[in-house]
Amino acid sequence: MDKISSFFKKFGLGFVHAFTKNGARVNFVKLSKNRTALAFLLPITAIILSFILGSIVLALIGADPFKAITSMFQGAGFLPKARYGGGQNQFSDFMKLLNNATPLIFASLAVSVALSAGMFNIGISGVMVLSGFISSVLIGYSPLPAVVARPAVLIICLILGMGAGALVGFLKYKFNINEVVQAIMFNYTFMYITNYFIYKFFLNPETRSSVVVSDAARLTIADVKVGGVEIVVPLGFIVLIAVAVIVYIFLTRTKDGFEMRAVGLNPRCAEYVGISVKKNVILAMAISGALAGLAGATFYLGATNTIKPETLPSTGFDAIAVCLLGGSHPIGIFLASLLISGMTTGGAYMQARASVSTQVPSLIIGIMLIFAACTAFMRYYLQKMSLKVEDNLKKEGLL
Amino acid sequence: MGILLSSNSILSGTLAFGLPLFIIAIGGIFSERSGVTNLALEGFMGAGAFTGALVAVIVMQKTGMSSSATMWIALLAAAFGGALFSALHALLCVYLRADMVISGVVMNILSTALTAFLVTTINDKVFRVGATGKFHIGIAGKFTIPYLSKIPFIGGLFTDVYYYEILIIVIAALMYVVLYKTKFGLRLRACGEFPQAADSAGVNVYHVRFISVLISGALSGIGGLCLAYYLITQFDAKLFYLGYGYLSISALIFGGWKIIPTLGACMLFSFVKYFALWFATLPGINLSSVVTSTLFQALPYIITLVALIFFSKSNKAPAALGEIYDKGKR
Amino acid sequence: MQNSNSEYIIEMKHITKRFPGIVANDDVSISVKKGEIYALLGENGAGKSTLMSMLFGLYEPDEGEIFIRGEKVKFKSPNDASAIGIGMVHQHFKLVEPFTVTENVVLGIEGGTIVDLKSAREKILKLSSEYGLEVNPDDKIKDLPVCTRQRVEIFKMLYRDAEILIFDEPTGVLTPQEIDKLLEILENLRKSGKTILLITHKLEEIKRVADRCAILRQGKLIEVVNTKDVSTSEMASLMVGHTVLFDIDKSPMKKGDVVLSVKNMSYKKKGESVYRVRDVNFDVHAGEVFAIAGVSGNGQMEIADIITGIIQDSTGEIVLDGEDISKLSIDERIKRGISYVPEDRHAVALVLDETLEDNIVLKKMDTAQFLKKIFLRRNEISTYADMIIDKYDVRSGQGRSTIVRSMSGGNQQKAIIGREIELDAKLLIFVQPTRGLDVGAIENIWKLILKERDRGKAVLLISLELEEIMNLADTVGVIYNGHIDKIASRDQLTEREIGSYMMGVKHNG
Repeated sequence: MDKISSFFKKFGLGFVHAFTKNGARVNFVKLSKNRTALAFLLPITAIILSFILGSIVLALIGADPFKAITSMFQGAGFLPKARYGGGQNQFSDFMKLLNNATPLIFASLAVSVALSAGMFNIGISGVMVLSGFISSVLIGYSPLPAVVARPAVLIICLILGMGAGALVGFLKYKFNINEVVQAIMFNYTFMYITNYFIYKFFLNPETRSSVVVSDAARLTIADVKVGGVEIVVPLGFIVLIAVAVIVYIFLTRTKDGFEMRAVGLNPRCAEYVGISVKKNVILAMAISGALAGLAGATFYLGATNTIKPETLPSTGFDAIAVCLLGGSHPIGIFLASLLISGMTTGGAYMQARASVSTQVPSLIIGIMLIFAACTAFMRYYLQKMSLKVEDNLKKEGLL
Repeated sequence: MGILLSSNSILSGTLAFGLPLFIIAIGGIFSERSGVTNLALEGFMGAGAFTGALVAVIVMQKTGMSSSATMWIALLAAAFGGALFSALHALLCVYLRADMVISGVVMNILSTALTAFLVTTINDKVFRVGATGKFHIGIAGKFTIPYLSKIPFIGGLFTDVYYYEILIIVIAALMYVVLYKTKFGLRLRACGEFPQAADSAGVNVYHVRFISVLISGALSGIGGLCLAYYLITQFDAKLFYLGYGYLSISALIFGGWKIIPTLGACMLFSFVKYFALWFATLPGINLSSVVTSTLFQALPYIITLVALIFFSKSNKAPAALGEIYDKGKR
Repeated sequence: MQNSNSEYIIEMKHITKRFPGIVANDDVSISVKKGEIYALLGENGAGKSTLMSMLFGLYEPDEGEIFIRGEKVKFKSPNDASAIGIGMVHQHFKLVEPFTVTENVVLGIEGGTIVDLKSAREKILKLSSEYGLEVNPDDKIKDLPVCTRQRVEIFKMLYRDAEILIFDEPTGVLTPQEIDKLLEILENLRKSGKTILLITHKLEEIKRVADRCAILRQGKLIEVVNTKDVSTSEMASLMVGHTVLFDIDKSPMKKGDVVLSVKNMSYKKKGESVYRVRDVNFDVHAGEVFAIAGVSGNGQMEIADIITGIIQDSTGEIVLDGEDISKLSIDERIKRGISYVPEDRHAVALVLDETLEDNIVLKKMDTAQFLKKIFLRRNEISTYADMIIDKYDVRSGQGRSTIVRSMSGGNQQKAIIGREIELDAKLLIFVQPTRGLDVGAIENIWKLILKERDRGKAVLLISLELEEIMNLADTVGVIYNGHIDKIASRDQLTEREIGSYMMGVKHNG
């Protein structure tokens, strides 16, 4: 392994020396030290690399990579299509995308908040099922009018999620049970128990899925005619913006938010200055759980209106991937979620236009994540290389 | 279902399902006891089952061998495929300093996507049977011991015994010896408890961890293929990933990262599932077996959680689990 | 050139080793005879550990050569050193807790695919009786007390047929009886023909077992003495020397009332058998700098953590301004008026990935000055941060928005000190406040400390630098093995005397 790493070192140095002039070398060193630039560039590199690799795969199976990828983005609503069906345009596509992406963004925020206090929340999918189910039963199957039903759904999901999150935080502190392990347990416990009740009482035998919830309780208004076009109104997205802003303000502008982040960044220092690590961990998990609950609301009573038993929504795991790509900054999370949702949504159009199976977007996403997981290493490697280059520059008197 | 299952089916199913679960869990034990968190058993299982199914289909086509005979070759391929896929996780976690939890989750996502894509594409372009998502591998061979199998309930141990169960028992015994009696096993366990001690004793921590992840990939691959044979007689990415990888993780945690207790855990979890299936078909109990089994499926997880709460004093996880080892920091 | 004088089993010739910013070993040459017990004596930073680390293969010297048994060697890793019979017992043991003694000893040298624990056991028992080292090979490490664990480390070396054994500060974790036992063991080992190198700062022990002693100071070899021919106080003075950076202007002390009173403080860490702090008593008055002098690892850092509340399970009283604070939380103690500049600024004093201004207000965030309901008053924080940056000359790339990690150590320290002083606490605790700083920064910080003392604050200074203590202290307490052996006014003590107390030499009173 040493041989491989020294090969990479020599290769990297050789590359920098051979292909750049002195000025560029100095800029390289500066860039490597600029954390914000790196936070932006590294994920983009991962994305670009994955698309390159994806294009190679597409070419290998005999598809036109350019056509496939552009049609995927057209399907998502990022690019305009050549022709639209009746009552559709790019705006309606994009609205559909927002509706689908909302749960993922909520889930990613949930991961991000937990992470800011140093905790890993992989239990979002389970919370989604639980909150989606309970709010379906209590509100979704009731005759309540929209004005009452929709806020009720949100509140129920939020409270359930908050409770679940706080429980995890508490168990971690009281009994020292790793939160990842807890999440696995809760995920499947929630899934199987809700499955039981769905099968027993709420099953639609034709769709093999739960009975659909009332439109009044749903956080998406479908089939709204605006200027000759039929769109969905993603109410959930509007809630999302509001919640995201609140969470952002909490984390950056309040004392409690700051203390939470301090606990995540340096728990020993937090202790030394008198911050309660226990309280902040439980708080962080509670907020994270609340966001997970909202993800459940916007997924089961928003993007879809039914619960398919026997599966955990992949949203909870995709969210971890989104955080990896988007780097825990809200803007990054938004963009990464839109990208990933878009790719999955656009898959159908890609299949229609470029005859490429819908599995390809998922594959490219998978590759993207592998590259993204390497960003920690990329950062480390860059730092080491730039130190060497810096040393050389200093010796040559150029720095 | 409504079919009256004989009481034999409980133990029969317990072994047929529980033993593959066990071998996957052993893989997880190897990986985690060397210090590498492994949430990717689900993905490794799938990668191995995919490879095994692919080879099985090819062999059956080319040679016309029966499905039960090809199983052996397929298992070998499954071990190889699982190990190959796991090399990525190993590379990321051991050498590239990735966070082990994230890497595990990413592996699972990639495995689902990759296997789904490959099955469809291979069926379409290589086998030219159309873009279906299934590899049909047929039924694995099994046998029943004549007189012993007639004993009520206990007879289940001797009924419908799949040949892979024997293989798994043999491999498991071998892995037990490796982990507790060999030089490699000693070093592996040291790396998971206090890698600095292993390092200062001249052990290459990176190598040991890398190999242990590969072992977990191979074992998961074998277990995954066995489950494919038993549960659905095919490999279909849409049907395969049912969370049994996570169930094995639960089992190994419940078993305290030790091989024999984990066997007990796997048997317990598996028993619960098949007991429920049988119970539902009893006359007078008019429950859909699917319904009841769903509720019972939650039990293993609840049990593990409760056990963790009550036995929290003795946290038996390997001490250095999840810590990226950096030789530079002495 | 390859061979050299074979009377000596170890020869280190003209060894120089540099680390960024410091010369750890400066042209050091030592020769050790076979069968000798050879001690290395020096203060912290003298270079003893670095020198022995090179002998053990952890580092390579920048200049100089090492000869073992007359042949030149170059170690790329501890495995190379181990292969030719050199072993080292580190200060922090490298033992796997759940494993047995046998498993730990045999790790890395198992001798076959299947580990033959039986014959390993037998070999260990044989070694045990041969060298008088009692141990049960089947015990698990986690059940063993510290002194037995140390014995296991010794076994690791003997099992690999080590001829040269290096011990790094072996007695720091042992009770007096255990120390006696260990010294006995060292004698036995020497009788069996082993060569022993002992890194230590404990003069009495050197006198008891060592044949010769090399005294290092600030990277240079001062002298090699025969321990029979020299007294402990002579060794102490050779070790401490007298290098003056500069003398600082200090006005006479204006001693006020007692602010901090520590009574019968004792502390034993869970799982350890030795008390790290033993029955410590001292008072700090307003307007006084009370300094605790001592070699690293004698309990002084723990005292600071106990007073501030980070360590909770100590016994004894801590009285601040008449109130017993020993049961209060960290936060409550900060509010009662304690400032703390800890030793490890990176690990505990700063949140490295936050901005400078946020780190500056870290301890005052819940005061009305910076908090409006739940929101942080960003403007107030910025103003306050700028004030401190200006007053304490804290330099950084982007001013108050700089991420602290990118700042230099000296500026980080200035920021911490500024933060703590501006808390206007009654009691200021400084631990190693000028560690790793340049002369100019040191002078500045000393002036700041004395200014607070002149303003009537009580200052508790814990330092490993004798220079710092001599310049700043009004009263000096010397700590050794967890107990403060001597408290006297600074004017009544010479540097040599303090040095010898630090080394455990007992005088009257």
